[in-house]
Amino acid sequence: MKKGLKLTDILVTIVIAVAFGIVYILWGSIYYSVKPLGLHLDQLIYGMWFIAGPVAFLILRKPGVALLAEIAAASGEFFLGSPWGLTVLLYGVVQGLFAELVFMTFKYKKFNMQVAVLAAIASCLASVIMDFAYGEIGALSTWNLSLFMITRFVGSIFFAGVTAYYLVKVLEATGVTNLVRPVSNKDYAELDQK
Amino acid sequence: MNVSNAETWLHGINPSLKLGVLIVLCIVALFIHDLNYMMNITIGVLILFLFFTGHSIKRILLLSIPFCFIFISTSSAMILFGQGETLWFEWGLISITEESFMRGLLVGFRALFFAALGLTFSLTTRPVNLFYSLMQQVKLKPKYAYSFMAALRLIPIMMEEFQTIRNAMKVRGFERGKGIRSVYFKMKSYSIPLLSGSIRRAHRIAVAMEAKRFTDTRDRTYYYEFGFSKMDHGFILYFIILLLAGFYLSIQFPLVSI
Repeated sequence: MKKGLKLTDILVTIVIAVAFGIVYILWGSIYYSVKPLGLHLDQLIYGMWFIAGPVAFLILRKPGVALLAEIAAASGEFFLGSPWGLTVLLYGVVQGLFAELVFMTFKYKKFNMQVAVLAAIASCLASVIMDFAYGEIGALSTWNLSLFMITRFVGSIFFAGVTAYYLVKVLEATGVTNLVRPVSNKDYAELDQK
Repeated sequence: MNVSNAETWLHGINPSLKLGVLIVLCIVALFIHDLNYMMNITIGVLILFLFFTGHSIKRILLLSIPFCFIFISTSSAMILFGQGETLWFEWGLISITEESFMRGLLVGFRALFFAALGLTFSLTTRPVNLFYSLMQQVKLKPKYAYSFMAALRLIPIMMEEFQTIRNAMKVRGFERGKGIRSVYFKMKSYSIPLLSGSIRRAHRIAVAMEAKRFTDTRDRTYYYEFGFSKMDHGFILYFIILLLAGFYLSIQFPLVSI
């Protein structure tokens, strides 16, 4: 077996990611429509921006896919002219890296909801770290900062963790995931003559 | 973004170099904590964005609308709820202090700086050129570059499919549903066909590419060739001068005193 991702894996990952890139762009306007409602309600839906990594990994189940997906989604968003500009690219790389690290610690062998939620939390943590550098959120007053953190973490767990997991579960029903997943021993066993 | 427009000197710059300079600038901007300096260099980038992208001023102004939103929304949270010593105004949870106000402006200008840089880039660079240049100058593996280009070409097809599903739903009267269950139903009936269709299509494209002997070798030939020119030096020089002059002006003639 050759190491690394094959052309098929890369193409499928990037196409999934670019589809989410479009969602990310549209999500921006939703984000701004709830922002004026006040106290960090917008942070509840922030988690949507972490979804590409977990979804791509859960579909393809290969190393490196989560990172690639998040970078590709961010660059898709960037090319389509995100008003955040290059920020999305920098955030995307860091968020993807953190999600990838979670999948790596499980040796790319776990595909359940817990690991998706953990990846979502890791991406969220990455975005918070970036926000400390970029948005200086460390200077917010304490109550405001904690509200900000709680809403963002809750939102990420819901969108990038739970939603991503169920999305892939429904996709599995369409049979499309069998096309792109690595073959397991179970598949070989089914080929054996009985 | 690919809309017809006049070509300017920004179009002629090597795409990889342009991207590299932009990324360096953004990382530099993360470490600038002086409001005057930030304002000066933001103005320098806005000049490029407003006058040198080759797009009509009407379109540029239209694209600037989100900038104002981003500026207001990023700075307002910091201004209203930030920490600080010198109190200007207090009302319930809201407390505006001098420090929080200044920091709010800094964050707002930084967001503006990033946004203007990013949009200038995407308005003056064709994605295809960028990926060809990345393969030639940065040695990005062809399988990644071509996958990106193929995926970008699929966007119009995805849009079309989205419209088809939408029309089908309209005909069947599903558009009018209300409540959380209807939202869930709509999400599912849009996302699943779109995603599974895209995955199947991507898979087919990859198989076709490999069947036509697409290989990942580096010593391939390219339809578009990219090199460096004098304009690239000018581009780098522009930002070096901007960073130095911005720094000098922020010390000699500060716009706001902190």
